[in-house]
Amino acid sequence: MDRRLFLKSALAGTALGAFGPAGRALAATDLLWMTWENLAKDDYLQPFLDGSDVALTKTFIGTDDEQFAKLRAGGASSVDLITPGLDKVSYYTASDLLQPIDFEKVPNANLLYDTFKKTGLGKVDGQTYGIPFYWGINPIVYRADLMDEEPDWSVFFEGDKYNGKLAMRDYALEGIMIAAMYLGIPRDEMFQMDDKQLAEVKKVLMIQKSKLRTYWNSIGDLTNLFATGEVVCAFSWVPPYYDLKEKGLDMGMAKPKQGVIGWCDTIAVPKGVEGARRDAVFELVNYLLGPTYGKKLAYGGPYAQSTSAARDEIDAEQQEKIFIKDLSVMDSFVWKENPPRYNDWVALWNEVKAS
Amino acid sequence: MSARVGTYLAAPVMAFLIALCVTPLLILFAYSFFRVDFVAISYDPSFANYAKIAGSATYRGLILKAFGSGALVAAITAVIGYPVAWFIAKRAGAMKSALLTLLLVPLYSGDLVRVFAWRVLLGAEGVINRSLIWAGVTDAPIQGLLFSPLATHIALTYNYLPFMVIGLWLAFESLDDAWLEAAADLGAKGPSRFARVVLPLTSPGLIAGGLMVFVMVVGDYLTPQLLGGASGITVISAINDLFGTAFDWPLGSAIAWTMLAILMAFFALGAVLIRRSSLVGGA
Repeated sequence: MDRRLFLKSALAGTALGAFGPAGRALAATDLLWMTWENLAKDDYLQPFLDGSDVALTKTFIGTDDEQFAKLRAGGASSVDLITPGLDKVSYYTASDLLQPIDFEKVPNANLLYDTFKKTGLGKVDGQTYGIPFYWGINPIVYRADLMDEEPDWSVFFEGDKYNGKLAMRDYALEGIMIAAMYLGIPRDEMFQMDDKQLAEVKKVLMIQKSKLRTYWNSIGDLTNLFATGEVVCAFSWVPPYYDLKEKGLDMGMAKPKQGVIGWCDTIAVPKGVEGARRDAVFELVNYLLGPTYGKKLAYGGPYAQSTSAARDEIDAEQQEKIFIKDLSVMDSFVWKENPPRYNDWVALWNEVKAS
Repeated sequence: MSARVGTYLAAPVMAFLIALCVTPLLILFAYSFFRVDFVAISYDPSFANYAKIAGSATYRGLILKAFGSGALVAAITAVIGYPVAWFIAKRAGAMKSALLTLLLVPLYSGDLVRVFAWRVLLGAEGVINRSLIWAGVTDAPIQGLLFSPLATHIALTYNYLPFMVIGLWLAFESLDDAWLEAAADLGAKGPSRFARVVLPLTSPGLIAGGLMVFVMVVGDYLTPQLLGGASGITVISAINDLFGTAFDWPLGSAIAWTMLAILMAFFALGAVLIRRSSLVGGA
């Protein structure tokens, strides 16, 4: 590179550097979104940023609990949009941290799937505080090459063929829900289990523990355990199924008839967000429930949006992948809820693990 | 520099330490007397959380398990650390610096790297199992090598051995060989020389290294979680559950303070023992 070209490049670099922050500073509203990293990829959000006068700063969370702890500890005043789980919204409303969703400013909310329109979760006195945003299931994922047949929840509680080859997520809510489904406890009783039912749950969870290789805490770790053959079957999230299939492993995904755990994250607006910032936030919320973002999430995630906005633009194979081809599949889902006696659930879970 | 100037210079550092270290602990202590009602903290002080810990076999068991693991790993590292520290201090000569650096090399890698290295060694498809099968020692992989208390304690010993060796090495450095020669001249055999001369004179290093290893093992929850399998729960992960998932900050604080109080008691005991052994050493 000669000296003239070098100087030109340096000047161009300096100019770009100078205009970058300037462009950001010139935006009318700078919003802060607390969310999961996989939901806020630049590519997903660029169309919105190009078409609005908003600059967006993202702060990523590692767990839902971490998000709540940050807001509860006084962080709500600096955040404009958060991403709590549908089952956790009650934590925020009980702490008076959220404002109701202004549906007039979010027309795409009319396209919410019926399940999400009808759910009582995320609402207080008929007002919605956490609007369903994206959803999925947590199925059983297994090594089809190392198992004889498609498993259901009983694989974690009966027989000894796969002893020491199973894994369960280290999470009280889902662990106890699975035991309840195995025991046939009806869905409408599941989150209000009495002492007798919880004792039954504890009994079968002790049996489960004796069959486990480990409790997993990170999905990357579980993927690794599947790949090395340490674990052949686990209550899982979906990604290991696709990731390992892509790498040539014969993986299976089972959705047990006893029920499948469905999850849904919402978007919610903290209480202090007002005026122009509030308008900008709802503009963003509307975009997140709209077709452009939905399509990008369906192919990039791959995850399903809570509205039908992008459904017709997604091919059948991808629809199948994100469970929106046949929406009746939602009927078998058991949506996670926050049990009123959750502290007892956590204590029980720890008692089982410490046994 | 006068003592007064020294005090003035130390004051900002002390204030910084109090603000950042002591205050959060005091807040935690205050929280341990409150209780939680769903997500609201009820600021009505009581000893209910401490009573809950005393009455819970689970929390008592987890605390005991933590201190048991700490004591076990401290003991194992002491047994391994003594000959290593003696060799580095008394026999390594010009290689001393190189050996000390080598000892610390594993600490330069992250915790997770070390954990996954152990998985590669101990796993069903790992180096050890494959070697055993190749040598005909076993037909199938030994599952208990990984995801077991054995795996946890092997990794904990490996992780914290350098801290014990450094403590003992310092003690050996200040051990005058003339003591050993005098003991030998007086007819003391090897075991007797170790028990009656080496052990008392190196005990400050043993206690300091032991306490360091003990505290770090008690507070380590990543290694048991990732290598301990279904039995990998620790009191620290239970505290984590209480603070995070259950939003029971008061009970979490009470368990944390119970642990802290027991650890402080161990430190006080260690300080007394070091003082006594120093007196013996100086006699």
